[in-house]
Amino acid sequence: MAANPEAKTARRIAITVMVVAGVVLFWIFPPFRVVSLKTQGLPTGGSSGSVSFDPTAAAAQIWQKTLPAAAVKAFEADKVVAALRVDPAAARTQFAGSSGLGTAYYLVRGHGRVISRDHSYLRLALAGDAADVVSLRIGPVFGNTVRDGCGLLDVNAFPGLSEFNALAAALNALVEKHVIPTLRDQATVGTEVVFAGCAEAPESLPAPGEPLLSIVPVQAEVHP
Amino acid sequence: MVSAVMFRQIPFNQPPILIFPMRFCHLSRFMTLGGLLAGLLLAACKPVAPTASSPADAAKPAAKSKRVAVVVSTLNNPWFVVLAETARDRAKELGYEATIFDSQNDPAKESQHFDNLISSGYGAVLFNCTDAKGSIANVRRAKAAGIPVFCMDREIEANDAATSQILSDNYSGCVALGQYFVEQVGEKGKYVELLGIVADTNTWNRSKGFHSVVDRFPDLKMASQQSAEFDRSKALEVLESILQSNPEINAVFCGNDAMAMGAYQALLASGKADKVKVFGFDGADDVVRSVAEGKITATVMQFPKTMAKTAAEYADKYLKGERSFPQRVPVAVELVTRANVGKFGDYGRKP
Repeated sequence: MAANPEAKTARRIAITVMVVAGVVLFWIFPPFRVVSLKTQGLPTGGSSGSVSFDPTAAAAQIWQKTLPAAAVKAFEADKVVAALRVDPAAARTQFAGSSGLGTAYYLVRGHGRVISRDHSYLRLALAGDAADVVSLRIGPVFGNTVRDGCGLLDVNAFPGLSEFNALAAALNALVEKHVIPTLRDQATVGTEVVFAGCAEAPESLPAPGEPLLSIVPVQAEVHP
Repeated sequence: MVSAVMFRQIPFNQPPILIFPMRFCHLSRFMTLGGLLAGLLLAACKPVAPTASSPADAAKPAAKSKRVAVVVSTLNNPWFVVLAETARDRAKELGYEATIFDSQNDPAKESQHFDNLISSGYGAVLFNCTDAKGSIANVRRAKAAGIPVFCMDREIEANDAATSQILSDNYSGCVALGQYFVEQVGEKGKYVELLGIVADTNTWNRSKGFHSVVDRFPDLKMASQQSAEFDRSKALEVLESILQSNPEINAVFCGNDAMAMGAYQALLASGKADKVKVFGFDGADDVVRSVAEGKITATVMQFPKTMAKTAAEYADKYLKGERSFPQRVPVAVELVTRANVGKFGDYGRKP
């Protein structure tokens, strides 16, 4: 049965109209998008884009070059502790540093005599009339105290938080390798320790008898 | 003869209806479907707004809009409700019309939200992403359209897309939690770790912070590590399953508080709630109360209100012309234990 030519034309027009309408609809409201990873600049591996980051190498450079220079300029521990005893908030404002809205840390240096020790900490009576007590870490070192406390590093100079955290772990490893063994082996009760280190700034005074600061040492020497 | 296609005779005030005879239906449908699919693919491949960050993008004038979009990964978790509502409320206080978009943990929904807010002319986005990598494209599209994006709580893994990212210091929070974990559980024992969403960097920053401590104690053995996707119900199911094969565990470390509550329920159901210590992360109100009651051993207080308010205030500054923002702003977190729980509540520190 032959189709009527007018009907054929009408059918073609109808189909064309439907197709065009569909294309226009999808053009305006695409239900999905095909996007090139390259043009989007999306990372195709690793974290934070294509930047490769070696936390061990970065930590070694900081340890050898920038940290020693910063330690020389650290605040005197006895002055910081004296201020802390009077007003922790004011001491924090005067001596501590923080990144963003993060935890505040002190970078301090000083010397004192070992008055006691356990497997994780030495307790030092700082030189001076007040003989304030601080502790030095001699056990495993955790967290961001060294990374953030040294006041040298900006999170925004690194590819991302994961890399910045890896740097913290690498710096902690260097403390455990280069500083802790000397203290653990030589700092017996009665010896004098010269140190530089980082400590979290407390919001309030500790309980009586507890150390005013808990310091992670980045440099230490022990003298009889 | 029946015409191949015809307009049915209908009253003049009704639209015409197309009628196809049966013998042409399959062909017509096939052709129509083919045409639509071709159109669909063509539309899908059409060029979108420039994606790469460039000086030209940065030079675009800020939108004059007084509308701020709050795009949040989920509203199925009270912590994120607080984050989103605080951001919205702070934006309103600053004089903006603010709307919350719930992505329901679905990257496709999140992408649709960005399509909508870009075409609707929003001035800024306060953003809690669903995927650290997958969400970058959305942020770039908004940036290309001149809309600044301020990330809250969850990081996107790009330094040149968001205007600023206000993020909890998850790693150090879990370092503190890990140290407390060792104090409470001891240096010997078996534990389970429930991870959050594996595409979220918070999941891994928390896990790595925790493991940077506990892995130093070789007699602390991880019996199982599984994702429960930050979801309370999934945590309940996953831990119930784990307990079948590992009935003798001492502790559960959960990547957020919703999972901690789910884990506690599973332990309660199996009669182990008083023997197995549960650790969470977030500082959700129900978990803070559970810490006070001794049901949950510890959590870490994030400060969702601080992050949300900071993001809204940054957006306000941007829309008023400021352009200098740090890419990442770490926000301190605090360990919450039974000893100090009295200081915390309502998703932060008590005044």
